[in-house]
Amino acid sequence: MIEFDRVSIALGDFLLDEVSLSIQKGDYYFIMGPSGAGKTIILEAISGLLVPDSGRILQEGKDVRGIPPEKRRIGLVYQDYSLFPHMTVEKNIAFGMKMRHLPALEVGQQVNKLMKQFEITHLACRAPLTLSGGEQQRVAIARALAIDPELLLLDEPLSALDPITRDRFIEELRSIHRDQGLTIVHVTHDRRDATSLGTRMAMIIDGRLAQEDRVDTIFASPCSERVARFLGFENILKGTVMSCEDGLCTVDIGKNRVAVMARAKPGSHIALCIRADDITVLKHDGNKTSARNIFDGTIIQKTISGSLALLFIDIGVNITAVVTTKSVAELAFDAGTPVCVSFKATAVHVLPPQVFETRNPDTRPGFSIT
Amino acid sequence: MNDTPRTRRWIEIRGSVGQLDWCLIGFSLIGGMLVLLPLLALLNITIGQLADIPFLISIATQKQVIDSILLTFGAGLVAVAILIIFGTPLSYVLARTQSRFNQVVESLIDLPLVLPHTVAGLMVYILFMQRGLIGAPLKEMGIVFEDAFLGIVVAMLFVAMPFYVNTVREGFQKVPVHLENVARTLGATRFQAFCLIVLPSSIRHIFNGCILAWGRAISEFAAVIMIAYYPMIISTLIYYRFTTGGIKESSAVAFVMIVACFAVFLILRSVTRYLGRYDDRV
Repeated sequence: MIEFDRVSIALGDFLLDEVSLSIQKGDYYFIMGPSGAGKTIILEAISGLLVPDSGRILQEGKDVRGIPPEKRRIGLVYQDYSLFPHMTVEKNIAFGMKMRHLPALEVGQQVNKLMKQFEITHLACRAPLTLSGGEQQRVAIARALAIDPELLLLDEPLSALDPITRDRFIEELRSIHRDQGLTIVHVTHDRRDATSLGTRMAMIIDGRLAQEDRVDTIFASPCSERVARFLGFENILKGTVMSCEDGLCTVDIGKNRVAVMARAKPGSHIALCIRADDITVLKHDGNKTSARNIFDGTIIQKTISGSLALLFIDIGVNITAVVTTKSVAELAFDAGTPVCVSFKATAVHVLPPQVFETRNPDTRPGFSIT
Repeated sequence: MNDTPRTRRWIEIRGSVGQLDWCLIGFSLIGGMLVLLPLLALLNITIGQLADIPFLISIATQKQVIDSILLTFGAGLVAVAILIIFGTPLSYVLARTQSRFNQVVESLIDLPLVLPHTVAGLMVYILFMQRGLIGAPLKEMGIVFEDAFLGIVVAMLFVAMPFYVNTVREGFQKVPVHLENVARTLGATRFQAFCLIVLPSSIRHIFNGCILAWGRAISEFAAVIMIAYYPMIISTLIYYRFTTGGIKESSAVAFVMIVACFAVFLILRSVTRYLGRYDDRV
């Protein structure tokens, strides 16, 4: 439906560098990446607000260069919702239809239908600045849908909402996507949004496409260390393959050897990505598990965050594990406590040597990737 | 302690602010010195004029005085109208672009702010006099600026320009570009987005720009007399009366002007208070 063919856009010091994307009809497509990566620029390029310096943007196979935003039927919702402050809620929603010269009767009917759908009928005569964040967001989405768009672009629409409103809106977005079959492109840096809603996604880092694939594929198999870090792989350990047989390799990570499911040549340098919640922490004299990788270690630091606790553990290299605060209390985990750490060989995602990145080393106190 | 109404009021005042804010009180006293200057000048001239009300009425009802005030206000309005037509697009371009030429253009716009008024008047005169770069060809078409209404307007326009352009540019800069972007995706052309979204969103700044520019225009003297001593705007008339009729006559005309300006600006400021406010909780 929308294709980016080596699109480059320079804005001041920033460069969106030869990005190629493919968004299919019916996709709930996520664009993820750190702040300043160029995600919003991609949305503005899709909507026609920015014109590529080089490369092509194709819609239904046709180059859309030269087609202004007002001719594209693409709805756009910004993070700040950008409601017109001098218009009431009702007039905000009607704006797009009036610009398209729809008959007044039809405009009225459609506005009422959308206000009913988004449960904002009681706000019809209110000024946008008097609304809560959640209400503003509903108005913004209703306004974008009022033009019956072929594509809906959402620029971090959930980031300013409280957790309860946010969860409700994830459900609303899911139903809009499912019931209307609308193609949605959603920019976020929140992993939960992508895993809850997305079908496909692109990772953009420093203005370049780092990876594009199905959401579950990217989350399971990030292509580089930076993508892995962004997607929540707290532990990235670098090591050397000692042996490899039938897809099971032994990797030397310093004082320990880790078993991983991979195919690699002995002697090659690889990186091992392990999520903190895939690591099990037991008391030193506790029950052993069936996991292949079991190491003795010592807790260096403990950080409580709500119902979960992060444990920073020295097993020869420093790793991070997540346990419940209940476990912390029951097993008396504290700094200096000797523990037994385990994780399955299948829980380790292996990055091949060619995608090693040495930039941005972990700077947490007491932690370094070696 | 006697709980008299007076002591209760004092307690209320203290209670309403929690405790006295000596910093603000100090600032008020220092700032008050500045307010004292125009206040004293105003009181001085008012008391002087009210001492001889029949004379004041005779001056206020003179046709020359009324015509002069109307001429001043009218020429100021025309200058503001021209500024709205030409200054609004310029302000928008300056607000929405980041060209290196912006600084040059902005400096040119600000020039009348720093120039002595006589210099500004001289510049206008040289340009619009009958042998001037613009004045000469327009004279061929029968349009004359020297000692004419149009001369007053161009002098006022020149000195009022930075007040309008800078205020309106600031207003446009405060309208998020996202609003325009969304309007465009909803089907508005760039011009429609400007007219339907940017202009209404900056109406307060535009109105303030008009008030400031008009105020600056009607208060101009030196630049105007360089090109158009006649017809006399109110500043010229006051100066003329001062040199021919003395302080009493000129201060009576000045007092009439003060009352007229105060009334007009009071009304305009009252309108501004409610204009372009979109959050009724404020």
